[in-house]
Parts: sequence; structure tokens; C-alpha cells
Amino acid sequence: MNKSLREKLESTFKNIQVTAVDGNRMVVTAEKRSISAILMSLKEASFDHLALISAVDYIEDNEFELCYIITCYMQDQDSEANDLHIILKTRIARESPDFKTVIDIYPNAEPYEREIHELFGIKFEGHPRLTPLLLEREYEIPPFRKDFDTRKYVKDLFDNIPSVEIEKK
Amino acid sequence: MDRNQITKWFKAPAKMANKYSLNAIYFCTGCGIIEVPPVITARWDAERFGIIPVATPRQANLFLITGYVSVKTLRAIIRTYEQMPEPKYTVGFGSCPINGGMYWDSYNTIKHLNKYIPIDGWIAGCMPRPEAIFVAVTHLWTLIDKDMANGYIKYRKNYKSYRRNQELALGKLEWPPLFPIAEQPQGNEQ
Repeated sequence: MNKSLREKLESTFKNIQVTAVDGNRMVVTAEKRSISAILMSLKEASFDHLALISAVDYIEDNEFELCYIITCYMQDQDSEANDLHIILKTRIARESPDFKTVIDIYPNAEPYEREIHELFGIKFEGHPRLTPLLLEREYEIPPFRKDFDTRKYVKDLFDNIPSVEIEKK
Repeated sequence: MDRNQITKWFKAPAKMANKYSLNAIYFCTGCGIIEVPPVITARWDAERFGIIPVATPRQANLFLITGYVSVKTLRAIIRTYEQMPEPKYTVGFGSCPINGGMYWDSYNTIKHLNKYIPIDGWIAGCMPRPEAIFVAVTHLWTLIDKDMANGYIKYRKNYKSYRRNQELALGKLEWPPLFPIAEQPQGNEQ
């Protein structure tokens, strides 16, 4: 598969690992600072669709993993991007979860980054509005982190709300 | 019309009319709403039982809460419930409004919906069949006959504690109280 793209990526960027999972998927693991450059060059290589940004909390490694899934929207038989999903992974430190936004490359990254900011507490520098998207209340620890104790939270909040005492006539 | 019920019509015409024209507010929460389209359309034709879905809460008197209630949805549920004219009946559909169901340890899902608004009946199951809605509705008829579907009266009488619970779950509420809270000391009976 896609030898030329792979060689191009490996020759252009330092500290990059490219592995092919199967015929249609390619996993690219890169450093934090080279992500936007890689995304830019992939977009030029007709990978014009950002399908998803997701985050994983690796608490034992003390790191977050950000995962960008990029594909080609208009499928073209001749293009080298045909039917190929690129999964771009990077790790950032858990203590200082700061990252740069990719809205200037892929504009549809905005809601994904807002959601990740809300649920994991990763701050995206340059994002125009990191306001709450889904949640109603403030959490001390963002709720999708592994050290957020849901049972304790439920016990403290929802189980402490008393039932309504019905007055007897 | 059942001829045996003709005395009931003479005794309490308003109650009987309420009973046989339940207008359900079309409010979708969670996954249980997928059972409602077959109920109101030709397969299980709910209009046999006098149930029709209506568009706005101001025309409705039956509130089906179909599925899990997130904290954000609770705000909409309370606002919808308070806009409905009395008499109004609520039915919790599925196991999630009862005690959280499979979301019992979720960080953002309301457990025990009857702490926030009064519920007249529950339908247990995950998911209940569409027939369960009719079982619930016929049961609701019996409750209305016996004056036991009085959730809206409970809400009016215990509004202070309901409002307190709503504020505990949602923080500050941006709408004014539906009923005056200060005029609700213990033992104020009419």
C-alpha cells in the first residue's frame, strides 16, 4: 500500500513511526510539535476530511493520547488517498495538558476540541471559544479522566438529594 | 362508548373527558422514544385509547418521559412540566427514570426522577414493549377514576421541596417559582 506517501512522511519528519494496520488503515505516531505540520502536508496530499479527534487517558504512563482520524472525502480511483484512513497519534503530558488547535487546518475540529476540553480538560491554545458544550455543572476533575471517581460523585451528589416528603392530609 | 359507564359520565363529566382525551406531549428523552412512533401510528393506533401527540406543552395533559434523563434534559423537563395546564399526568417509561437503570453510576444522569417532578405511574423494563404504554394508560384511567393520579396536586402542595431538589441538582434556576414558596408553611391546608 501507499509506499510513496509513507516514504514521503518518513523522510520529511523526524521521530515519526508509520505502521500499516491493514490495507485501509495507517497509524502514524508523531511528536507533539510536528502534528500541525504533518496535518498540513496530509491535507495537501488530498486528505481533506477530519473524521474525528479523540483522546485517551493513559494514567499509568501519565500521558494523554490524542488521536486524529483523517480520510479523503471525495473518493477518487486514481488518487493515492483513495480508501485510506490515517490515524495520527501523539502523546502529551498529563500535568500540563496544553496543545495547539488545528482549526486553521481543519475547521470542523472546533466541536471535537471543545468536547475534549470539557471532558478531559485538555486546553487547546488558539481555540476561539472553549465554553461548555455538553455538561451542565462544573466538575473538579473533568469526568472522562481515569482518576474521576464516578461512584463517589454519584453518592455525593445524586444520592444526597432527599426524596420529597409528601404532606399527609 | 361503554353503556355501563354512563352514570360516571353524569357524575363527573370533566374527569371522564380528561380520561378519554389524553393529549401526550411529544417530548423525546433517551432511547424509549423509539417505541412511541409505532404506538401513535397505524400498528398500535393509540387514538383508540384517546391518546394523540400534541406539539406544545400548553395543549398537553400527559407527559411520557421515555428513557434516561441527563442533567441538561431535566431542566427542559421541568420547564415543560410547569407549562402544562392542570390536570396533568406523568408516566415514567423504562427503568432509567425509575432509579437510573444502567446509568446508575453515571456522572451526568439523573437518578430517581420523582425527586424532581411528581410521577403518577411507572412502566418498568428496558425497553418496555409498545403494549406496555396501553397497560399504563388503562391503569392511569383507573387511577383517575379513583382520584389517585394526583401528582399535580402533590406538586402544588410540596412545591417547596421539589424546587429545593431541582436547585440541588441544577444549581440556580433562571425561571421564577411556579407557585409562591413563602405561603407554604407546614399545615397550610385548604
